[in-house]
Amino acid sequence: MTRDSVGYPAGSRVRVRTGDPDHHTRVPRYVRGHTGVVVAVLGDWPVPDDSARGIDLPRVETCYAVRFSAADLWGSGDHTVTVDLWESYLDRP
Amino acid sequence: MTGHDDLPAAARTRRLEERLIAAGLTSDEEIDGFLATMYATASPVNGATMVARAWTDPRYRDLLLSDGNAAAAEMGFDGLSYALRVVPNTATTHHVIVCTLCSCYPVSLLGPSPGWYKSFAYRSRTVREPRAVLAEFGLTLPEEVKISVWDSTSEARYMVLPARPAGTGELAAGELAALVTRNGLIGTALL
Amino acid sequence: MGGQTGFGPVPVGDDSGAPAFAADWEARVYALAAVLRRRGAFNGDELRDAIERLPPQGYLGASYYERWLGALETLVAEKGLAP
Repeated sequence: MTRDSVGYPAGSRVRVRTGDPDHHTRVPRYVRGHTGVVVAVLGDWPVPDDSARGIDLPRVETCYAVRFSAADLWGSGDHTVTVDLWESYLDRP
Repeated sequence: MTGHDDLPAAARTRRLEERLIAAGLTSDEEIDGFLATMYATASPVNGATMVARAWTDPRYRDLLLSDGNAAAAEMGFDGLSYALRVVPNTATTHHVIVCTLCSCYPVSLLGPSPGWYKSFAYRSRTVREPRAVLAEFGLTLPEEVKISVWDSTSEARYMVLPARPAGTGELAAGELAALVTRNGLIGTALL
Repeated sequence: MGGQTGFGPVPVGDDSGAPAFAADWEARVYALAAVLRRRGAFNGDELRDAIERLPPQGYLGASYYERWLGALETLVAEKGLAP
């Protein structure tokens, strides 16, 4: 699957979708609903939610490294946490 | 099938192997061969060798940070099953790697992962209180050094490019590589 | 489980010099998972999903490789790999 342009270029602010699917997913609970910044565009890979369910043609989507501040995630801490997230896990804030 | 959960894990494992061998899906030779290959080739010496080269070769350092797989291939570690991303420690940023969801780890470049990396404690706490976690490894960073935690949730696997220790200007490549520890490549140690 | 509290100190102690696997069966579980994935019996996401689907007491009360073993048993049963 090729793309003419990347959905969220580096530097974009993105918000992680909420929701608690009853199937396998790779959105850690601690970032759901939070807003971060794209620090890198990683690659186009099969979405784990689909591959885990043995779907023959899983969606292939761009995966992004998204950075969150500890202050936003936990209310304290001066560190950042960068999580790799597929495009369908994200929305514009 | 019923009641087998009560067997010790070793017995359950052997029973599973025997069923799979009988079904023609594997063999003792294949399992033994896989382990022999892994023990012989997967080691933190691999990551250390790449770091040592990056310390002495600016072009290689740039490649390592921009295209980890190409950099690994240059050192003979090709066909990685993951997208390698290398993150550099600096005077103001210290990186730490974790996989909160399951314990993903770049085995081919760092060897099999240590038990603590797979523990619930490391997986749960590193994203929330990395300074406290590092302190349990005997590592206390100055206040002005900020911590950047990487949660390996995709096909990418992360490795830290530690800072080169002072006073190592005269060392040869092999001596430099010997300074790089596995924990330094994960971020739970300085060198 | 990122951010989840209550798990106590990191077991750093089993670090330097510790073997990769605490017992032979752990190494064989690791190898079994790898060769079956290589053969296409299942993919890595299916394996992780099977670990996550272990009953809660199976997940929290089991050791790391016991969870892999439980997941392999689940996948073998569900996919009819060894009738």
